[in-house]
Amino acid sequence: MSSSLSISTPKAAATRCFLPAASMLLALPAGVALLVGTATPAFSKDAAATSEKKGPQSGTLVMRTKGGEKLPPAIQLGTDMDVTVSGNIARVRVTQVFRNRSQDWVEGTYLYPLSEGAAVDSLKMTVGNRVIIGKIKKREEAREIYETAKAQGKKAGLVEQQRPNMFTNSVANIGPGETVMVVIEYQMPLKQLDGIFSMRLPLVVGPRYVPPHSITDKAALDDAKTVTAAPIASPKDGKINPVSINVDLAPGFKPANIDSAYHKVYIDGKGKRRAISLAKGTVPQDRDFELSWRSASANPVLSLYKEQVQDKHYIMASITPPVQDEKSYIPPREMVFVIDNSGSMSGESMVEAKASLIHALGTLRPRDHFNIIRFDDTMELVFDTSIAATPENIEAAKTFTNALEADGGTEMLPALKAALVDHQVTDRSKVVRQVIFLTDGNISNEDEMLEAIGGDAGNSRVFTVGIGSAPNNYLMNRMATNGRGIYTNIADTKEVTVRMAKLLDMLSRPSVQDLQVSVTGNGFDLTPKRLPDLYAGEPLVLLGVSDSMVGKVTVSGLIGKKRWKQSLDLVDAIASPSVAKLWARRRIDDIEADRILDKIDDKEADKQITQLGLDFHIVTSMTSLVAVDETPSRPKGTPLRVEDLPINLPKGWDFDHLFGGETAQASLANEVTLANRQATKKFKLPQTATNYMGGLLGGLLAFLIGAFGLITLRRRHKITKDI
Amino acid sequence: MTHTRRNTIRRRLAYTACIALCGFGIATTASSAAIPLEASLKQLLLERAYDRSVETQVKHKPWAWADMTTVGKISHPRLKQSAIILSAGSYEAMRAGPTLMGGSAKIGEAGTSVIAAHRDTHFAFLKDVRVGDTIRASGEDGKARAYRVTHMEVVEADEFTIPEDLPENALALSTCYPFGSVRGGTKRYVVHAIADKG
Repeated sequence: MSSSLSISTPKAAATRCFLPAASMLLALPAGVALLVGTATPAFSKDAAATSEKKGPQSGTLVMRTKGGEKLPPAIQLGTDMDVTVSGNIARVRVTQVFRNRSQDWVEGTYLYPLSEGAAVDSLKMTVGNRVIIGKIKKREEAREIYETAKAQGKKAGLVEQQRPNMFTNSVANIGPGETVMVVIEYQMPLKQLDGIFSMRLPLVVGPRYVPPHSITDKAALDDAKTVTAAPIASPKDGKINPVSINVDLAPGFKPANIDSAYHKVYIDGKGKRRAISLAKGTVPQDRDFELSWRSASANPVLSLYKEQVQDKHYIMASITPPVQDEKSYIPPREMVFVIDNSGSMSGESMVEAKASLIHALGTLRPRDHFNIIRFDDTMELVFDTSIAATPENIEAAKTFTNALEADGGTEMLPALKAALVDHQVTDRSKVVRQVIFLTDGNISNEDEMLEAIGGDAGNSRVFTVGIGSAPNNYLMNRMATNGRGIYTNIADTKEVTVRMAKLLDMLSRPSVQDLQVSVTGNGFDLTPKRLPDLYAGEPLVLLGVSDSMVGKVTVSGLIGKKRWKQSLDLVDAIASPSVAKLWARRRIDDIEADRILDKIDDKEADKQITQLGLDFHIVTSMTSLVAVDETPSRPKGTPLRVEDLPINLPKGWDFDHLFGGETAQASLANEVTLANRQATKKFKLPQTATNYMGGLLGGLLAFLIGAFGLITLRRRHKITKDI
Repeated sequence: MTHTRRNTIRRRLAYTACIALCGFGIATTASSAAIPLEASLKQLLLERAYDRSVETQVKHKPWAWADMTTVGKISHPRLKQSAIILSAGSYEAMRAGPTLMGGSAKIGEAGTSVIAAHRDTHFAFLKDVRVGDTIRASGEDGKARAYRVTHMEVVEADEFTIPEDLPENALALSTCYPFGSVRGGTKRYVVHAIADKG
């Protein structure tokens, strides 16, 4: 069997000379070199020659230097986050302070992440002592209001959603030396697993790789530019964008084991309430903040919240099935590991990913089957198909893994497609096929990935391990949800053993089979409609809407061989002011999922999302919040400086590797190719022929015919006369 | 008698028709011949107007009743061709010279300058342009820049696209295609050139 091992270590290393990776912008110390997210075929000769299994055309960094931007950034940004946790729901108030240190009038645009599932419902802009409240509008309409105000010299703020977990705030006409405060608020449901509640606040958007093939039209190009617009501050100049975080934790029970995974915190308070704040006061926004806790007593297994808006009742119910205690026999399994070794993984992420994979390989037994696929802008399958996990094969796989180096673009789609191909090496009736993705997910073509997984990932289950300090949680979470798997994060080598062990343990244990939900009384319309596969310790979170609040929700299923049933009486629901908006957010997720599966056409999906956004006053892909200060401030004729606020490179990312030396050089060389990737506009070309030659010839011909006619007539006349 | 009379009328009609045909032929020939003549002559006037406009930076009309202004000059050194470019793509303007299409970039500024001219007068030379040729063009400032011909294409008139947000100036020289044809058509021949760096 080991004869099918097609990749040896030297080759794995040889294919590593592709140009790196990730689409991003770079703020060089000397000025600002902008790096745009479109990429070009750029195989290095050696690599093209040695790589047998080439992926799609290689992508690379493209850097663009913008003339006139050789100025230090005008806007200094400070952020404060104020979080209130009540039960399973967090409400977050984010205050962004835009301080203009320059002598110019400035428009600043800041690209920032939010937790996926966050429903932004409030925007307040504070200028001096005036507070302007933002209104929800259709996206284009909001943009227009903002642009008009901007042109008129008025102060304006605009919150737009670029991805479900990526937003931009734009503030126009910030005067020299002036400070404008923008406050947005959102709510989100908390994650709960095995009795541990966790809240993840992403603080920086990891630079995204834009696959060249995804730039198909102007809209796609604009989108690519937006998601890669923020220049990356050079670490040599120190970290920027400080944030302070304060959490008011009121989980409804006495919390224990409160832990902040990546930031030191102070914890204060007693009883059922805690106040948590950053030990350092402020930290740079360069990695996710994660806070977790559990109940000091038994794990809560049920929660039920309600909200009434006008005559509609909304509920959010969370039910955790019991975990089967005895460690039962684990049937043979087939695991396909997909590991990302693109340039964005360089640095600590690659170390974490490799360690995670090595750990997982160590848990395989000879009766299991496995394979490894690695990808950057190329990809390789270590074995042609899944292979028995014999000691030799495991050893070969470990050698391969250890030799991986992070470089190149992030073409994740072909790797996903390859991983989902089931060669039926193992018996599907006995063996579950599991695909485990190890990546930071920093790509811009999320939709294509979700489309490939479709409604059920075929015969496979998809599990995702978000690697690094600022992974694309939205993509990873959605992939796992749609692929009927689970999602976990690893952002530190110290977490590898614990978190991988936990994940592997969960996916080895039987989940709840035959899950069913029933409602009595006035039927609640519950979502998700398609119930997920639950893994041990995972709750089922239902959101619903109804005309009245009576009845019972019953969840049942098969755990091992035992039937399990749990009911919730709606009368017991606790009031919460967030439930309706979270329901709307979940509805939008459902619509987006249907869109990807072609169950709903684009127009109808957009229409429904627009309506939900307007009805519930939340920011969506189709609705934005806009605020305009009616007092004009920028004097007529004074120019406005436009600035994309720089952001930190996520912690642990290798800046020099991404931006230094050959990579940067090669990127610059691709600048020209970028021009060819530009979006185009149609242009009607005019009729351009005088056809004077035609006129000339036609005229001459007419004259000749006339002349010939005259001569003939004259001759005939003469002849007649002569007779 | 009636027979002879009828014959006379018929003959006179035939004569008139033939004379009319001759007249029409002469008129058409003359007006057609006037086109290349006008194209060349008006260029002389345009050249003066352009030079003066550049010099004084005030728009000078090439002739009193002109409804267009000069916006640049284009030349092809190898083929020894040159022409003054006009604003507005009206039929009148097109007879006098190549015109810069409304909505396209000004010559010398970032973006694509789409310039159209007739295939049988000012842009007849396009059929002899080769990839790699140097084209020189100047805009309203009169500063001549060098462009390199990158490629040619034949497109349907309503399917032509230009890139958006181009960082430098590019030229798209358009004329009707095929060259030998005496009828109008929907195809266009476009020569693309990009500004040389530095």
